[in-house]
Amino acid sequence: MTPMKWFFSFLKKYRLRMIIAFIMVTVATAMFIINPYVSGIIVDRVIEKGEYELLWKLVIILIGTTVIRSIMKYCYLFLFETTSQRMLFTMRDHVYRRLLLQDFNFYNKNRTGELMSRQTGDMDAIRHFVAYVTYSVYENSLLFLFAMIMIFTVDYRLALCLIAIVPLTAFTTRKQLKAIKPAFHNIRKHFSSLNTAVQENISGNRVVKAFAKEDYEIEKFMKENDGYRNAELNATAQWRKYIPFFEFFANFSLFVLYLVGGIMAINETISVGQLITVSGYLWMINNPLRMAGWLANDFQRFVTSVERIYYTINKDPDVSDPEEPMKVDRIKGDIKFSHVYYNSEDDVILKNINFHVKPGQTVGIIGATGSGKSTLMNLLCRFYDVSSGEITVDGINVKDYELYSLRGNIGMAMQDVFLFSDTIEGNIAYGKPNCSFEEVERAAKLANADEFIRQMPEGYDTIVGERGVGLSGGQKQRISLARAILKDPAIIILDDTTSAVDMETESQIQEALHSIQNRHTVFYIAHRISSIKDADQILVIDEGTIREAGTHDELIAKKGYYYTVFHHQYGEFDSIKAQKGDISHGKE
Amino acid sequence: MARNKYDIDETLQSEFNIKHLKRLGHYISPYRKDMVVTILLMMTSSALGMLVPLFFMKIIDDFIPNKSVAGIVVVCLLLLLINIINMIILRLKVNITAKLGQNIIHQIRTDIFTHLQKLPFSYYDDRPHGKIQVRVVNYVNSLSDLLSNGIVNTITELFSLFFIVGFMLSIDIRLTGICMIGLPVLMALIFFIKRKQRVAWQIQSNKSSNLNAYIAESINGIRVTQSFVRERENIQIFNNLSKSYSTSWMDAVRYNFMLWPAIDNISTLTTAAIYVLGVSWITGGVAGITTGVLIAFTSYIGRFWAPINTLASFYNSLLTAMSYLERIFETIDEDVTVKDKEGATEMPPIIGDVEFKDVTFSYEDGVPILNGVSFHVKPGETYAIVGPTGAGKSTIINLISRFYNLDSGELLIDGIDINSVTIKSLRKQMGVMLQDSFIFSGTIMDNIRYGNMEATNEEVIAAAKTVCAHDFIIGLEKGYETEVNERGSRLSAGQRQLISFARALLADPKILILDEATSSIDTETEILLQEGLAKLLAGRTSFIIAHRLSTIKNSSKIMYVDGGQIVELGNHDELMALKGKYYELYMSQYDFLRE
Repeated sequence: MTPMKWFFSFLKKYRLRMIIAFIMVTVATAMFIINPYVSGIIVDRVIEKGEYELLWKLVIILIGTTVIRSIMKYCYLFLFETTSQRMLFTMRDHVYRRLLLQDFNFYNKNRTGELMSRQTGDMDAIRHFVAYVTYSVYENSLLFLFAMIMIFTVDYRLALCLIAIVPLTAFTTRKQLKAIKPAFHNIRKHFSSLNTAVQENISGNRVVKAFAKEDYEIEKFMKENDGYRNAELNATAQWRKYIPFFEFFANFSLFVLYLVGGIMAINETISVGQLITVSGYLWMINNPLRMAGWLANDFQRFVTSVERIYYTINKDPDVSDPEEPMKVDRIKGDIKFSHVYYNSEDDVILKNINFHVKPGQTVGIIGATGSGKSTLMNLLCRFYDVSSGEITVDGINVKDYELYSLRGNIGMAMQDVFLFSDTIEGNIAYGKPNCSFEEVERAAKLANADEFIRQMPEGYDTIVGERGVGLSGGQKQRISLARAILKDPAIIILDDTTSAVDMETESQIQEALHSIQNRHTVFYIAHRISSIKDADQILVIDEGTIREAGTHDELIAKKGYYYTVFHHQYGEFDSIKAQKGDISHGKE
Repeated sequence: MARNKYDIDETLQSEFNIKHLKRLGHYISPYRKDMVVTILLMMTSSALGMLVPLFFMKIIDDFIPNKSVAGIVVVCLLLLLINIINMIILRLKVNITAKLGQNIIHQIRTDIFTHLQKLPFSYYDDRPHGKIQVRVVNYVNSLSDLLSNGIVNTITELFSLFFIVGFMLSIDIRLTGICMIGLPVLMALIFFIKRKQRVAWQIQSNKSSNLNAYIAESINGIRVTQSFVRERENIQIFNNLSKSYSTSWMDAVRYNFMLWPAIDNISTLTTAAIYVLGVSWITGGVAGITTGVLIAFTSYIGRFWAPINTLASFYNSLLTAMSYLERIFETIDEDVTVKDKEGATEMPPIIGDVEFKDVTFSYEDGVPILNGVSFHVKPGETYAIVGPTGAGKSTIINLISRFYNLDSGELLIDGIDINSVTIKSLRKQMGVMLQDSFIFSGTIMDNIRYGNMEATNEEVIAAAKTVCAHDFIIGLEKGYETEVNERGSRLSAGQRQLISFARALLADPKILILDEATSSIDTETEILLQEGLAKLLAGRTSFIIAHRLSTIKNSSKIMYVDGGQIVELGNHDELMALKGKYYELYMSQYDFLRE
């Protein structure tokens, strides 16, 4: 499919409306020609020749056509505008759906500001085209055609001379379209980077301030701001070469008429009256010629935007539903990784991963920064697909599940907590928007978040800023945890979810989790031994492979990586234990 | 003000008023000369255009009856000349107005962006970021046509309107009067719909802002959306927002569309009135009205309404633009709460003595976060801050960088009140690593260098080595030149923390602040990191917030904060001996070992 075909597939639905609107334009344009004609008669016959009895009739025609025409114009303007709005509504919906389908790789490559431009600035260029350029082109062509027909009826030779300007105009239009295309693509490119620069600056405002880098940011922004302006001016420099020619062609029609018509009149090939009649039609030739260049600009802007939108979304995501997707309501949570490899571009992220988790088990995952822990979970959720090997859930390859089914059964609290600028309740209920408040509250309690939420001025109705700014790291993590718990999934993934929570709170959370855990398979990625110590199996990931696996006691006995970490975190264990004993005794 | 979210319309602080118009004037005034030149050019062009009918008259009345081919050729050559002049004028006009328009919006955009840099965290925290962005990019863009062609054309048309009215008056004052009767009617109509039209466009700008905010969030939060299978609901929400955007657009343009039919009808009616009255005056023998006068007059009527049409469309776009302009100016006028005091001096090189004197602070009135906090840190000391989440730990740290103003009390660095020095000179000497490790799109090298633009590649690498980031960076395909994006999605959270750590180090700060800087870093790396850090912390005053107590055990002092107050203060051993809150916290990590 070409971008244009893609565009027309949206417009097709509104064919009937468009046809009606075009008919109205035709009628209104025809009426547009009547008025000067009637006025001419009034001047010639009523005022000059004194045929006063005609006056009322003519005046009524004049007013009548104007009223009808203006109503019609209002209607067709409205029709074109609603058509464009409805079409854009479907198009935005389509683009939005496509964006939601795209996998993580897509989002790793495309900047937010750029994707936003597709949905805003580019859509606007299309709106302008459907609502304005379409009928302008049509109206102008009609006027030109009417005028030509009228002139032909007067004298075909004169008409042929005037029509000779058309190929010139067409040729120039073509050249202009070609010349401005790269310039307009350039504008859209710079618009996207401007959008990106502003978006990043706003998102990163804390870092900017912390490093007192305002001046640098302004400098960076100015580059984009200049770039965008220059791109616009650059395009102007392109079309500026052509636009005056259209003006020239438009006025050249006068030159042709006066010269050829004048000489023909002298030779008495045509009468002076005929010459005057033809000159009365000339504005209908003038205007379209003058507009051609501007409309060419608008058209090219539109084409550019359609292309940009289309090429952004036309590529199918790598991760998608299989032909015959498996739909399941509730999976049991038996998970098996067999010989799983994963490469991202040329970097090997995971190598030969094998493990098996039974339903209801808890798996602790520990390992160095960037060792591939999160990737492991992303593969399970099918945010990426394995490069080779197989991941099965309940004995079925994850690739055979319907994506929604699979992910619907997994509750993930991610490493970087993303909160939406919504109420706390809305954020917790994100995965289950229609649930009752009691459910939200219960999840918040399990995540040990209820207390601090209630302390906020508006409790659960407090709106948190984008990305949860204004909340502390630990608070954000607990909201994100509540969000995962509320979903009541078969598999819960806690990716470093309690790192910013103090120990006491963490152990409370863990106790709470234990109370519900039995029904869930839980993956617990953490750096603190305390978080994962009780897991049924612990995986130590190192440079993309499982280096150690087993229970806490087994791994301690192994005296490997896990043991080292344990030792670092609890080196003083022995000395502490003595004190601990004291307290325990004291308490008893 | 309550926080805003994507589906709440923002309230407007100050409606478009005459002051805003003046400000707009300020933006335009540097280009006065260009404008005058353009207007003169265009008037020349239209004056030349007025010659054309004269030429035609000459051909009809003179050259054709006299069979003067030479005459026709001469006139046509003149016409050609005018044509060429017009072409040149158009080219010049396009050139000037395009520059004008782009320069003005460039300036407005610069101003709004520059001002945004001064606004406090709370400004960004209180509304979706997409709503700020739409003002800087989309709203400003929508002004370009108005500010370039719009103004120039309008002024030119105003002039030609004066000329035409002058001509009309010179023919007959009564007929002119009839012609002008239409104007008050038009004005009345404009006045009548203005209020509604304004409101409709204000709503429209709000809806477009809402939609933009939601698009931004949808893209940024895509991972959460996909993992929570929220696609269907989000499409629903998106479509609702998209629908109200469409509806509000239609509501607003409806009023704009009204103007043309109105002008059309009014002009036809007045023209008809002139015909009827003119004819009846001729037949009635009213003095001064002759057939010739009436014919001459009718030829001007069309020219009278053409400029009015242009003025009307200018009016429409001005009204549309107002709803954007008032938002833009609102942002530019947004109060800068944290700013340099008048006569603020440069902060001299910091030695590192930090003192809080009875500091109280609240984000919102009546909800105190810090309640009389006092402590004194000597140069080179490391202070760790612990306590339950939400106790005010990050707040204490944020106050040192003066991200917020104190409610009362004093904060002294090297004995100097931080309110008395410039913010820039203060923050430049601090290295802050925040909870959110934000990564800018660009290379890893650039991201680290953000801490110190002058740093050489070697210095960047040295910093990366100190924080143990070097190994994983060179493990990437393109090493330091690897492109990352703003969501940093190619890096793990721990890797991002290491990068922002390196960034903070590179700034070579006198005061180093680490807020949960290592929460996502594994213990092994952290231990390696601490060896590097120990060297680094030497000679610097530093503040550390961390939940892994192994990270902070060796600090000079540990401060236990709860309920906005310092509950305990001392070194690890002292606090352990105290057997208070810190002791409990410390012991709690061994809870699970208790069998």
